[in-house]
Amino acid sequence: MRTLRTIVQLVFFAGVVALLLRGLAGHTPNTCESYCPFGGLVALYPLVRYKSYACALTELNVALLVSVLVLTIVSKKSFCGWVCPLGTVQEWLGKLGRKVFRRSFRLPKGADRVLMNLRYVVLIAVPVLTFTVWKFHLGFRAYDPFYILFTWGGHETAAFSFYIVIGVLAAALFLPFFWCRYLCPMGAAMDPLSRAGALRIRRNRDKCTDCGVCDRVCPHAIPVSKVDEVTARNCTNCLDCIEECPVEGALELSWFGK
Amino acid sequence: MKKAAIIPFAVALVILLAFATMNAYRVPTADVSFVEEEDRPAVVATVEFEVSGLKCRGTARTFERQVQDLPGIVSFVAYTRTHTAIVEYDPALTDPDAIREAFEEPILHEGKFYEVFEMVSVKAE
Repeated sequence: MRTLRTIVQLVFFAGVVALLLRGLAGHTPNTCESYCPFGGLVALYPLVRYKSYACALTELNVALLVSVLVLTIVSKKSFCGWVCPLGTVQEWLGKLGRKVFRRSFRLPKGADRVLMNLRYVVLIAVPVLTFTVWKFHLGFRAYDPFYILFTWGGHETAAFSFYIVIGVLAAALFLPFFWCRYLCPMGAAMDPLSRAGALRIRRNRDKCTDCGVCDRVCPHAIPVSKVDEVTARNCTNCLDCIEECPVEGALELSWFGK
Repeated sequence: MKKAAIIPFAVALVILLAFATMNAYRVPTADVSFVEEEDRPAVVATVEFEVSGLKCRGTARTFERQVQDLPGIVSFVAYTRTHTAIVEYDPALTDPDAIREAFEEPILHEGKFYEVFEMVSVKAE
């Protein structure tokens, strides 16, 4: 399972790096932004209101947004755990951090819960700023680590943009999935659908020994051993809990927990 | 753990779905008419250019400025995903070569000339 997921992650990571290199060599005008589903969300207002797209957004962004939302209904946040290259980079950094520091850091529960709501602030702020302060320009580019990193300081980024990337990536060494957990607006947009995601982890009470391994290995700190089925909004179906579970069949992937 | 294989399958399927359905949301980035409806020439030809440099709303506007003063230009539509400019023109007054020359003209910006647009391919009807 883990190998399968790693292969899928590597395919998308290689794809975005190839796009970056082709762009830097002048072989394509497209950037990672052309394939960004969050761009589709920003594109919705001018598309509906003016029958046009803002800045460099296109129909592909909207189509990918719809597709990612469909994927979320089917398989929770699999987009984050299997596809998103920024999620992949943060996962690698989190693993590196655990190896270097020999432990995983977590914020206190209260602070963690409050900070997780920052994603919703970003989700609302970016479109609002785009259509007001930034006057339909994609001003978020200068702050978006996905864009800054995978365009290597593309159009409209500034010197401070790299400090943001360094900060986000450094934070991911200590706090797993720092950007995804606290700031990613796309993740916030997926949250309501993710809760209802059909393909989810089910715990078989009869087989579970309550050893708590699943809780410890979950990169998103979901208390898997305390629930019968994982409906948590942050679950990416990475399947690490199933992989590490010492009892065969105690945890399994299921449709609607059945 | 056969169900795990559903996830990459679902990922591939939704990506295919995105590419297959994206034209449902297709609208031009720029759609400009340079003449009133009643002033349209009796014969109008269309040429479709693939242009490097045509990559956003701003560059579509720059493209518009490059061709708007050319005699015989009727309208211009830009699609940035495909980097395509579709130009309607009066064949008695201009032709695709002249249009190409106009948009490939270097642009003066803050004391420097920049070659913003370069034709990649052309389809004349």
